[in-house]
This record gives sequence, C-alpha cells and structure tokens, in this order.
Amino acid sequence: MTFRHERLPNGLEIVAEVTDDALSTSVGFFVRTGARDETDATWGVSHFLEHMVFKGTDELSADEINRRFDWMGASANAFTSEEDTVYHAAVLPAQQHEATALLAAMMRPALRAEDFTTEKLVILEEIRMYDDQPPFGADERCRAAFFGFHPLGRSVLGTVESIEALPVEALREYHRRRYAPGNIVLAATGAVDFPALVGTARRHCGDWAPFTESAPTAGVVPGRGPGQSVFEAIVRPAATLAYGVRMSAGPAGDDPERFAAKLLATVLGDDSGSRLYWALVDPGTAEQASCHHQDFRDAGLFTTQLACDGADATDLLEQVTDIYATAAAGGITGAELEQARNKLAGRVVLVGERPRRRLFSVGLEWARSGHYRSVADDLAIVERLSLDDLHRVLAGWPLHGPAAVVLAGPGGSADGSDPTDPSVAAADDTQ
Amino acid sequence: MKQQLFSTTLDNGIVVLGERLPGLESAAVAFHLPVGAVHDGPGRCGLATLAGEMMLRGAGGRTSREVIESLEGAGVQWAHSVSTSHSSFAGAMVARQLIPALPIYADIVRRPRLPADELEPARQMVLRNLAGTEDDPAHRTMAALRQLHYPSPWGMPAEGISAEVAELGIGEVRDFVARRVMPRGSIIAVAGRIEWPEVVDRIAALFGDWTTAGDASVASGTRGPRVRHVPHDSQQTHIALGWFAPPYASDDSYEASAALAILGGGSSSRLFTEVRERRGLCYSVSAGYHTLRDHAMAVCYSGTSAARAQETLDVMFAEIRRLPGTLEPAELERVKARAKSALVMQQESSAARAGDIARRWYHLQSMRSLAEELARYDQLSVESIERWLAAHPAAGLSVVSLGREPLEVPDDVQA
Repeated sequence: MTFRHERLPNGLEIVAEVTDDALSTSVGFFVRTGARDETDATWGVSHFLEHMVFKGTDELSADEINRRFDWMGASANAFTSEEDTVYHAAVLPAQQHEATALLAAMMRPALRAEDFTTEKLVILEEIRMYDDQPPFGADERCRAAFFGFHPLGRSVLGTVESIEALPVEALREYHRRRYAPGNIVLAATGAVDFPALVGTARRHCGDWAPFTESAPTAGVVPGRGPGQSVFEAIVRPAATLAYGVRMSAGPAGDDPERFAAKLLATVLGDDSGSRLYWALVDPGTAEQASCHHQDFRDAGLFTTQLACDGADATDLLEQVTDIYATAAAGGITGAELEQARNKLAGRVVLVGERPRRRLFSVGLEWARSGHYRSVADDLAIVERLSLDDLHRVLAGWPLHGPAAVVLAGPGGSADGSDPTDPSVAAADDTQ
Repeated sequence: MKQQLFSTTLDNGIVVLGERLPGLESAAVAFHLPVGAVHDGPGRCGLATLAGEMMLRGAGGRTSREVIESLEGAGVQWAHSVSTSHSSFAGAMVARQLIPALPIYADIVRRPRLPADELEPARQMVLRNLAGTEDDPAHRTMAALRQLHYPSPWGMPAEGISAEVAELGIGEVRDFVARRVMPRGSIIAVAGRIEWPEVVDRIAALFGDWTTAGDASVASGTRGPRVRHVPHDSQQTHIALGWFAPPYASDDSYEASAALAILGGGSSSRLFTEVRERRGLCYSVSAGYHTLRDHAMAVCYSGTSAARAQETLDVMFAEIRRLPGTLEPAELERVKARAKSALVMQQESSAARAGDIARRWYHLQSMRSLAEELARYDQLSVESIERWLAAHPAAGLSVVSLGREPLEVPDDVQA
C-alpha cells in the first residue's frame, strides 16, 4: 500500500491509498460539512442537500445519474453525519474515471425547485421510518441532552417541522458556502491509478471557484458534556422492548487518548465477550447492552445502548453504571486487555483488505485532521496500548459520572411510575 | 483472474470447500449444518435457534465463557445464526489463526455440553431477541410474507414464536442436537489466505471420525392465506408482495432474478424511479429474489406513511404488470454490470466467500466458479427474460401490509 496526496490550486485535496493488486477501486468526495454547521433556520439542510446532489446537474438528470452508476456496476451511495457529508462509489478499476467524473459533476448540482419539492416528501418519509424504529428517537434525544445548545446536539435528519419549513434558497446558499473546493477532499482506495485520478479531478473540479470566505466548523468547544446528569423518557405504547441510551464524556477526535478510549469501550461494552455482555446479554437479561466511543473534531463521548424489558430498564441502567464504577475502582485485567487488543487488531485487518471500507477510514481522517494512518499504523497503535492507558482514560473520563440518559419504551414502569405526560417526561437521574 | 477452488467429501459425508485468495491477509471459516427452522416441528418453533444458542454455551473442555473467550482471544470475529434450513457457525480472522481456531469449532459442533443451567439464560436470550424483532416493522413484514408464501414449515420464523420457545425443555434440546446435528449434509467452507492441504488434513482429523447417523426429515404442511394485514401502531405502513420464482438450482433462476433486478434492483430500477424518484412516495422501495433449496420467491417491499400507502401499493402493482413485453436492452446491461461487479468485489472478503461457496454448494451440490457465473450472466438476453416472464406471469401474489390500516388489494392479483 502506498499513500499519495495532491492539492489543486483551488484548494481541493486529493488523497489515495493505492493497493495495486486490489480487485476494486473506491472513490469518494468528503465534504467537511454536516449537522453541526446548521442553524435553527437550516436544520436538516446538510442531509437534504445530500439527497439533492443525486437529483442532477444542469446537464444531467437524476435518472441519468442513477443509470450511469448502475451501468458502471457501481455500488454508490452517500451519508451525512454531524461533521461530514460523503458521496462514494465502489467500482471495478476500469471504471475509476467514469465514477470519479460523475461524482465530481454531482458536486455542482442544479438544485431545481421542483426536485426540492418532491425530495422533501422522501426525506419526511425517511424521518418517519427512523421514528418507527428502535431506539425510537432515544439516540438523537440523548445527544441533544448531552450537548445542550451546542450544534453537535442537532439531529442529522432535522425534524418534520424544520424540513417542511426549509426553503430551497437556504439550501442553495448552504451549498455555495460549504461545497467550496477548499472544504472538500477527494479520496480513493484500492486499485487506484493516482495520476489518472488527479487528471480527472483537474478536468472536472479544477474550475470550481474557491470560496473567499472561510468556512469554519461552527460551535464552541463543548468541554466535557453535562456537568450534571439528565434523564428523559419517551413513551411509545406500541414498543415491545425499552431502549436506553446513555452518553458520558470521552476523549475528543484530536485527543491522543481516543485510541485507548476505543479499546476501553471494547473491554467494557463490545457486542460480545465484554463486561456488559457477560453481565446483561449472556444471562438473557438484556437484548442488547453495548458501549462504544465516538469522537468529533473537538468532542468525544461514550455511548451505551441498552434494549430490555421495560420493567427492567431502570434497574439495568443502574447496573450499567455500577459496572462502570467497578471498572474505575478495580481496573481492567491483563487478560481483558489482551482479548480486546486481539479483537481490534482482527477488525483492523479485515477492514483493511476491503477498499470500500478503507475509503471511509482514509477519507474521514484526512478531512478531519489532514493525516493519513495506514493499516500497519493502526495495528501498531493497538499493539502499543497498555493497561496504564486504559486506566488513565477510566480516571479522566469516568463513565459512571454525569451522563445524559434517555429511555424510550412502552412506558408505565420505565422510571418506576406512570409518566403523566404521554409524550415526554423529564426527571433528574437517580444516580 | 484464475480462481483457486477446492472441494472434497469426507467418508462420513461432510463436504469441505475452499477458496484460496492469496491477496488477502485474512481467512474465514463457515460451518453450515443441515439443521434449521424447518426441523423445529409443530408447536416447537424456535427449537433450532435455542439449540444453536445452547451449542455455544460450553463445548468439549470449555465452559460457555471459555468458548467465547477462546475465539475472541484469538481475534476471531465470530458469528452464529440459524436460518430456515441451516445453522451456521462462522468466523473471520487473521489467516494464521485459522488452524488454531478449528478445534474450538469442532468442540461446538461435535461436543456441545448443553448444560441444564444454561437453558434458562439461553431461552431468555432467544425471547429478548424475538421481542426485539417485534419492534422492527420491516423485519416483521418480511417474516409474515415468508410465512404466507412458502408452504409450512419453509416459511416459519427461524427466531421462533415466544409461546413455543417458552415451553422448550433441556431434554428436547439435547435430543434435537443429538438427532439433527450430523455430518451428512454438513458443509465446512474456508476462504482467504489458506493452504488447502493443511486445512483439509486438520478438518479430516477433527471431523473424520464423526459418525452420527442423524435424522434429516422435514414434516411438510400447507400454505397460509394469501393476503394478511398486521395491525401495528406506526406512522408508516410497510408493504411486502411475494410471488413465484424458481429456486436457485433451476437454470432459469438467472432470468427470474434479472427480471426482478430490472423491476427493483438498483437506483435506476423501475420501482425506484417510479415510486421514489418521480412521486416521492417513499424512502425505501425494492424488488428482489429470495431462494430456499426447493422454493423461491419474487419479493417487492416498500415502507411509506399510511396516507400514501395505497398509492404506493397501486404503483407497485402497476409496475409489476407493466414489466412483461417492455424490457429494454439498456436495462439488462445495467443489471449485468451490477451483478458482475458485485461478484468480483465479493472476492475481497474471505467471510463473504466462505459463506457464499457453502450456500451455493447447498443449492447446487457442486461448486460454481466465478467464470461460470459470469458466463451465465452473459447468456442472459432480453428475449430469454421475456420468455421467462411470459411463461411465469406474476399471479397469485401473497400480500402483507403492516401498519394502522389495511390496504385494498385488487382481486386480480390474488387469482
């Protein structure tokens, strides 16, 4: 594997991890923009724009874009997060130019008013779809509770109200400001012909005018999350299980401790073989009990997800807190460290051999930090982590400390009493 | 690219399959045991799933916890699932861990302890998972469709039925494992950076003296009604339609799956274009092909808000009816391109390949190379697909809706 980097005069960055004997090529445009860059008046615009990018340019209809991707045999899609909007395609190497050129053209969409009206209906359906599914909004509500007024607390999809109220002009203006070449990374992995990639980018992106005004990431540094615990409940009478989400502060995306935080989350709450697994999932007490570490540019958090019978939810959330407190007091064992390290190393290798998965690691990391980490670098990091590293994270970011907790479920017994408000009940956490 | 495929059959009937992918650092193994939901028996829905869960809870010299820790300690990404016809124990790992991992799997498959004190935790786990599926409207809709379309027990939910899982005892779990888990019909597939002779030797040493006779019988029943509404308090109504398609082993399954891909297989497919892009009726809509060994199904799915569900269903019916006689060469070319590139990219995952060669053997009783598969796609023509559509009109549809209100289903689609 070799790493290549180039920067066009207008600011567009091009990075590639080249694996000559790979069977496929993955290519993607990583735009440094997402829900945290929105305001109340533009809530949901990043994700809406992601949809509109597929609706065509002045020269290309939406149907033509869809036909071209299918004709290339591309596996093409896009996603929007709090900080990034990513358009990607995995193709056979012979299609590298076609796929890159098409994605590049799409970055300058027509944003037609009639398409905007139709697509609004699709996005409202997407919001309803997620709202009907576990964890029934508990994850978004928990992030809002954790981050408070910080823009990282904004849900990516927006709300039915914010999407209905969004005017097309706001979307066009957002595109002008955020999709400047200096705010975009073109990344590729697999069997990449790098000189050809740069050539395609020059031809199709070289005339994108740089935006003179800088486009900084919005928001103040949120610090370490809520100073005190917050608890909310969402009542869904049709739900069979209750779904709990718990968020506490963790190392941020620019903190070297973030790697130890991910290993710690594996020890405590991996989907199998972790402390939460043995305490809650293996005995059949909970359908799910897991913990993972998520980081943003300037913030990080540990997220615990729990699914269980509504009657058990409050008890089990307390048990989770106790498990974290026990870990903080008693530490992690050498055997646990070894098992988690082997697991993570195995995952790094398995992800590493699939260009379509590596694309996200390479592209998102470059968009965030301007750094590249190879699979070997990642393995070396995992290998170096010690018990001291984990214990330092446990001490510095107590998972049993202040947290935002949201529980969605059939209600009634969720917090030991019948909530009087059928939609939302708020109360202080019990711990 | 020359594929390196291997197969051999042990004296006891176990089929061992391999694909060497020297470009990868990983290796994967898939144990495909011929015991699934169809073997549960009347009133015992979920028995295979509970038995599979119990097999992980202690095996050979290892306790339940030691089984998981020995796999995870070796960095094995393990997975276990029970489907209609099979139980699968699989693992993907750094290649050097494959040979040391095989004895752990041998214990799980051949020497499960099935301890009585693990039954209740295992049962609770199965019941919680079942409750979780109750909260997944798309999953429930498709499960209901399978139950309508396939003759019993081929459409029974592998995850079980709560009231029946609650009744299962340790005696019948032990009896089930003793009778149903057997070498004949079992497939062990390995893929990735493997040395075939070494793998075969090791597997033969671990499994060659396994001689359980076993019972592979399935008690068949009838089909249910064709139209069903599942009341559910959700904003969206979920719609699933099913009708005849030939099983994968039948040669014209390629024509059937290509026709369905044109209907709803990609973002340029007819359903995506007409239902989502033109009308904005939904976020997800698709058509596809689902196969068991002796039965298969053409499937359409969409989820949309209750107020627009009837229109969505009507447009889906209209597109299904419009398909015969209107296929265009460009549509077929796109389907071929997508299928071919998916087949090639699958070679980048040892886990995907191990699972795939095992499944194909189950259907075909032979290996089919990538080259053969690609050649078969090349043979597809608009004419061959049109001939298939003419001979197999979409009729006698099974229709499931899940949501607040039932939908109107025209009489002619049920005929």
